[in-house]
Amino acid sequence: MATPDLLDPKSAAHNCKPRLSFSIQPVVLYTPEDECETRTTVMRWKTVSAIFFMVVLYLIIGATVFRALEQPYESSQKLAILAEKLDFLAMHACVNSSELEDLVKQVVSAVRAGVNPTGNAFNQTSLWDISSSFFFAGTVITTIGFGNISPHTEGGRIFCIIYALLGIPLFGFLLAGVGDQLGTIFGKGIAKVEKMIVKWKVSQTKIRVISTLIFILFGCLIFVALPVIIFKHIEGWSTLESIYFVVITLTTIGFGDFVAGEKGGSDNPEFLNYYKPVVWFWILVGLAYFAAVLSMIGDWFRVISKKTKEEVGEFRAHAAEWTANVSAEFKETRRRLSVDIHDKFQRAASIKRRLSSELGINQEMTPGKRSLSTTLCEDREAYPNLTLSLSPATGSLARNGSLYLNGLSPDYADRRECTFIESLN
Amino acid sequence: MHFVGRSWLLLTGFILFYVIYLLFGALVFSSIERPMEDRMRTELEVLKQEFLNLSCVSDAALERFLLKVLAANKYGVSVLRNASTTSNWDLASSMFFANTLVTTVGYGHTTPLSDTGKAFSILYALIGVPFTMLVLTACVQRIMFPLVLAPVGLLQRSGLEPRPATIVHFLLLLILVVMCFFVAPAAVFSAVELSWSFLDGIYFCFISLCTIGLGDFVPGTQPNQQYRSLYQVAVMGECSC
Repeated sequence: MATPDLLDPKSAAHNCKPRLSFSIQPVVLYTPEDECETRTTVMRWKTVSAIFFMVVLYLIIGATVFRALEQPYESSQKLAILAEKLDFLAMHACVNSSELEDLVKQVVSAVRAGVNPTGNAFNQTSLWDISSSFFFAGTVITTIGFGNISPHTEGGRIFCIIYALLGIPLFGFLLAGVGDQLGTIFGKGIAKVEKMIVKWKVSQTKIRVISTLIFILFGCLIFVALPVIIFKHIEGWSTLESIYFVVITLTTIGFGDFVAGEKGGSDNPEFLNYYKPVVWFWILVGLAYFAAVLSMIGDWFRVISKKTKEEVGEFRAHAAEWTANVSAEFKETRRRLSVDIHDKFQRAASIKRRLSSELGINQEMTPGKRSLSTTLCEDREAYPNLTLSLSPATGSLARNGSLYLNGLSPDYADRRECTFIESLN
Repeated sequence: MHFVGRSWLLLTGFILFYVIYLLFGALVFSSIERPMEDRMRTELEVLKQEFLNLSCVSDAALERFLLKVLAANKYGVSVLRNASTTSNWDLASSMFFANTLVTTVGYGHTTPLSDTGKAFSILYALIGVPFTMLVLTACVQRIMFPLVLAPVGLLQRSGLEPRPATIVHFLLLLILVVMCFFVAPAAVFSAVELSWSFLDGIYFCFISLCTIGLGDFVPGTQPNQQYRSLYQVAVMGECSC
């Protein structure tokens, strides 16, 4: 929206009403959106690369710590198993080491295929019966991917790809739904707690912080502490191993070195039929809880960054509006001033002319003087109109009228007007 | 109340559909994989019997030995003669492991053995996983502009209607993603990894990029692999994408 040039003579003459008030849409000197975009683009690149370097640093630190912790243990394991092998070869002299190597290689690849060669072939449960396949399908869709079972045929792998492509978004929706329900349940509970706390006259932020802490604590209790105790009891793992399994599963990392329900046929299989679905259900709800916590953290982060962005954005918008307003007002004042000055000059010039003509005529006739003085008075009354720029229409009429009364032609007046305005410019 | 009732209904509908989907997958997997598993099992039995027949080893002794070997193998410690002297926990491999931990892929071909290692990985994961997710969201938001909005704008300006423009752009982007992230790495893998076919390469890319990470294929774990550390770093870079 560009303001018309108010100092242009034609538009000044024909201009209707000048704008005195400015609407919320200011005269925009530049679009704030572009500025915002380029500004945030610059910020975002910087932040992203900074965060990227932080992640790389984090990884390097983790790598060094893992190496320091694990390597000695690994070498001791290696030595132990080598000693085992040599012992075995020594004890059973009829076995040569290449035969043993072959056997071990076959056994290892069989284990990777999921076949357990220890024990008898007949009392073993398959790894691909319905309940285990169900569990495997679940690990694929939730992207945990334990890996203790994995498809080995080509058809199985291709189907796995297609299955995951469709199933992961589906699970995402389900997770969102469950997370919402969890959120509402917790929200209602927290609202009740907040109502109680409000009576003690605690500030709003404190209430919010306390309620979040309660949410986290409660969730941890139900989804982490309770399963740890259950797994410890049923699977026979140590406390640390149970916590390790819970965390690795619920963050969907899923190494597969510990898998619940793997102990298999040694226990009564009926119990297993109840156990596995319960584990799956726990994974579902626990994942939703973790996802809710993560999204809450993400929301805080976004709110903080948005607030700062908003404040900066608001400030910039205000600044733009103010600048536009000020410049428009300035233009308006200039126009008014120029018209004013021009009118005053006109008046002065016409008075001067009249006076000179009056003086000239005065020397000859008296009645003319009276008429001229009356016209002078009339003109003087007409002149106050000129100072009012609010109604330049009437002003210009008065001006033209007075000029005409002076006997000057309108054209001459216009020409003088033009030159005057040009000189003002 | 009505709205709450409806959302519960929707949720149970969703759960039901999800369960049916899982059952369907279970049936298909079972029917495809089970015959092969049975065949492998019988083969192994035969092998074991042959070995026992040929030698003076008793069944029990062999069982004990095999159990120990398998337990070690589970943690990535191999007993084979030509197992490389390189550790599973040198700096590059540790970094690879940390990367799989933080991106939640979690192959499981190497897992922490010591108790301290397990405790540390719990803490590391709890901090690292949300952090990585935030980084990835920020990256995606940043990439959105040149990758999505700018080309769509370009297409629009060159005369297409908005809706076909988005469709065209989406198709182009899909093809580009498939080429870059699936076909190209799979070709590289099938050249470098000796026992992988092209399909195995695509399968691995997909399983890794979805962060499922089954762990049946892990690049860079063959014995005597040259430039192992460099290779693993490159794979890591691809995984974080």
